[in-house]
Amino acid sequence: MKAVGARLPRYDGVAHVTGRTEFVDDVRVPNMLWAKALRSPVHHAGITKLDTKKAAAMKGVHAVVTWEDVPRLVYGHLEALGIPGDEPLLAKDEVRYKGQPIALVAAEDEETAQLAAEAIEIDFDERPALFDIRKAADPDAPQIHHWGNWYPHFEAEMDVRQIRKGDIERAFDQADTIVSGVYRPAAIEQAPLETQISLVVPEPNGRLTIYSCTQALYFSMGVVAAHLEWPLNRLKFVGGTVGGGFGGKVDTAAETVSALAALKAGRPVKWRWTREEEFLCSSTRAPWHMEIADAVTKDGWILGRKMLTLHDSGAYARFSPYGVTKHSFHHTGAYTIPNLHFDGYVVFTNRVPTTAMRGFGVTSVSFATETHVSRTAEVLGMDPFELRLKNANRIGDTSPNGIAYTDPSTVPTIHSIAEAIGHELPGDYRAMTRDARGGDLLPEHLVAQVGEVDH
Amino acid sequence: MAKHRGRGISAIEYPTGMNQNGDPSQAWIKMKPDGRVDVFSGTSDIGNGSKTIQSQIVAETLGVPYEWITYDNSNTDSSPVCTGTFASRATFVAGKAVEKAALSARQKLLEIAAKELEIAPDDLEVVDGEVIAKGAPQKKIGVPDVAAAATWTHGELITGTGAHLNPYAAIVEPATGKVDSPPHAAISYAACAAEVEVDDETGEVRVEHLWQCFDVGRAINPTLVEGQIQGGALMGLGLGLLEECYPYYPSAEHRGGEFGSYLAPGIKGLPKIDTIIIENPSEAGPYGAKGISEMANNPQPPAIVAAVYAAVGVWVTELPVTPERVLRALEQKDRGPREDGKWVIFDEDLSVDTVAAEGSRFHFPVGG
Repeated sequence: MKAVGARLPRYDGVAHVTGRTEFVDDVRVPNMLWAKALRSPVHHAGITKLDTKKAAAMKGVHAVVTWEDVPRLVYGHLEALGIPGDEPLLAKDEVRYKGQPIALVAAEDEETAQLAAEAIEIDFDERPALFDIRKAADPDAPQIHHWGNWYPHFEAEMDVRQIRKGDIERAFDQADTIVSGVYRPAAIEQAPLETQISLVVPEPNGRLTIYSCTQALYFSMGVVAAHLEWPLNRLKFVGGTVGGGFGGKVDTAAETVSALAALKAGRPVKWRWTREEEFLCSSTRAPWHMEIADAVTKDGWILGRKMLTLHDSGAYARFSPYGVTKHSFHHTGAYTIPNLHFDGYVVFTNRVPTTAMRGFGVTSVSFATETHVSRTAEVLGMDPFELRLKNANRIGDTSPNGIAYTDPSTVPTIHSIAEAIGHELPGDYRAMTRDARGGDLLPEHLVAQVGEVDH
Repeated sequence: MAKHRGRGISAIEYPTGMNQNGDPSQAWIKMKPDGRVDVFSGTSDIGNGSKTIQSQIVAETLGVPYEWITYDNSNTDSSPVCTGTFASRATFVAGKAVEKAALSARQKLLEIAAKELEIAPDDLEVVDGEVIAKGAPQKKIGVPDVAAAATWTHGELITGTGAHLNPYAAIVEPATGKVDSPPHAAISYAACAAEVEVDDETGEVRVEHLWQCFDVGRAINPTLVEGQIQGGALMGLGLGLLEECYPYYPSAEHRGGEFGSYLAPGIKGLPKIDTIIIENPSEAGPYGAKGISEMANNPQPPAIVAAVYAAVGVWVTELPVTPERVLRALEQKDRGPREDGKWVIFDEDLSVDTVAAEGSRFHFPVGG
């Protein structure tokens, strides 16, 4: 039997649907404590007082963890990629979003932990908050991030992700029509059935066993090791089975603070986020603001694209600079556009930090650019299939950052959809392939870019 | 008041592997004394089916039945590095790592079999759990017998390791975004058509039918890849029509804190979905596969928005396309885009140049 290509059932499907799969919440160990967090009730404030003595003295409370207990308070999850850290594991002297964790209490049961978290004495000096990314660079905008209101650490310390290709002004001069539009997809929840959770067990040999719902065992282990300043051999992550992630469980949301609580209490600690915490305090898919102006000819060639992207990162950077870079690399969608001028900003606001979600960085740009192409077809009075096929990327065309496409399938997939819905295409469009353009098929505005390809 | 139908389309692409790469996966394999196979990989299964897919790749590569494979991704003591299950990399990058580990274990299997059969390893192949002499299929030995011989006769372990890493693609020109090598492991492609019905009295949009075509490179498991595409469609409907964390965005108030106050799509009310898979093998993926899991929720929103335009003549470019947004757009239907020379300018009221204050760094000038 051939295994590859076989319609085999999921390895774990029966266990999932019969409730026999063991998720982190199903794991119970002796002497286990339960954790609850104190979170910011306000969007933006200085912390003027933080006193945990009363909470720590409560009956049944075994540990209260604050920023003072974290060996390395700030660690950027993508420092290896050159994206520095900006987010404290637990808030120190300020909070930048409602729901930001400030302290974690480990107690005999969840109710005691919750009451103790509420008994922590804390005072805030509330500050103006910023929510509209379009107004983040206004001269009178509240300053909400120590880096400024947008991310300043792209390569060469640039504060914008740029793509420049070809001669954009010439393309706009030569265009018959320029179509501009604005596209704004919403923040959405990953909404996994399994909320963020971890169980950390201090072992007699000094190691920590961390039961985790992470989508990335080694990545999350690296995050915990960095905050604890521990070598990897003192940690064991147990996981691999995730009750829904969709990107939200790339954030290592519960493991590190639970580990600190378990170390402080000397007992296993489970921190299980409520559904409300999952909705209101865990990261979301980002809202985006995208503006596109396309320079087109009356017969439907897209000569050039100018684009501005503002990405709502929420209160901290997390993976957003990575997401905007990925976004920029794909801002021509499935087409070859030889002249480009793209600016993308990671903009901070006082909302829950946004993070990865299925299609990270590109779901937004697919929506914007495809809607824009449909609109352009309407403005030009062209068949939207034909406009797409004409500009479709082909083998040997180059991407926004100058890489030749080796196996694009824009033409075959569009052909399939036309056939599926019974949309008749003219013969020359039906005859198109994904093969390299050349000779008579090569429109003048693409000559230069195909010429520069290294094969 | 009436219900109107319309169709819209989209065509999209999406990269496999982390943007700019640099995301390793590793795997190791050992064979038990009866030929059964243990695979250790650090890939978390987030519902994407990576355990099954990677087990299929190992079975195919080793030449043994799928049922012989046990796949362990349970902990970091036994499993080597996998950067993680994101960036559509679990089949392509991590799958390539288990394929390489299986090739390495297969080589060891053939070396032991060669001793038993007294035939050179290069002249042997593994087919359906048996090691067979090429061109002389009567000369053969079962994989369980080879594994037993390795254990009890030769004092050896049939094992193999594999790792896969696409090199990091550095941005060498920050001003232009140029990179020094391909910033993706592969790129996948899809196209989609949506048929909607729009009620111009209530503003409600119903997606009646979706047609989706994905080039998956190679369907390692057609059932699972169809599941990804159809599950993705469900999430795409949420993005297009229903879901928003901040109902009054950009305000952060009035968030839904429970499923009862957050509208996500359910099975009820699903449109008819036609799924078309085409296979243009990727150059580097395991058995020609590409990753399509994430992009599966990308083509629906723009196809739906174009279909709504086809139905009632308005562009709704803030998502989701709620009844309120449709009705507001219908009220302003006569306004149309502003024309200025050769410019056709839509959505000017949403632009940063309208909303931001004088002196803002953010600027997108439109018009002649």
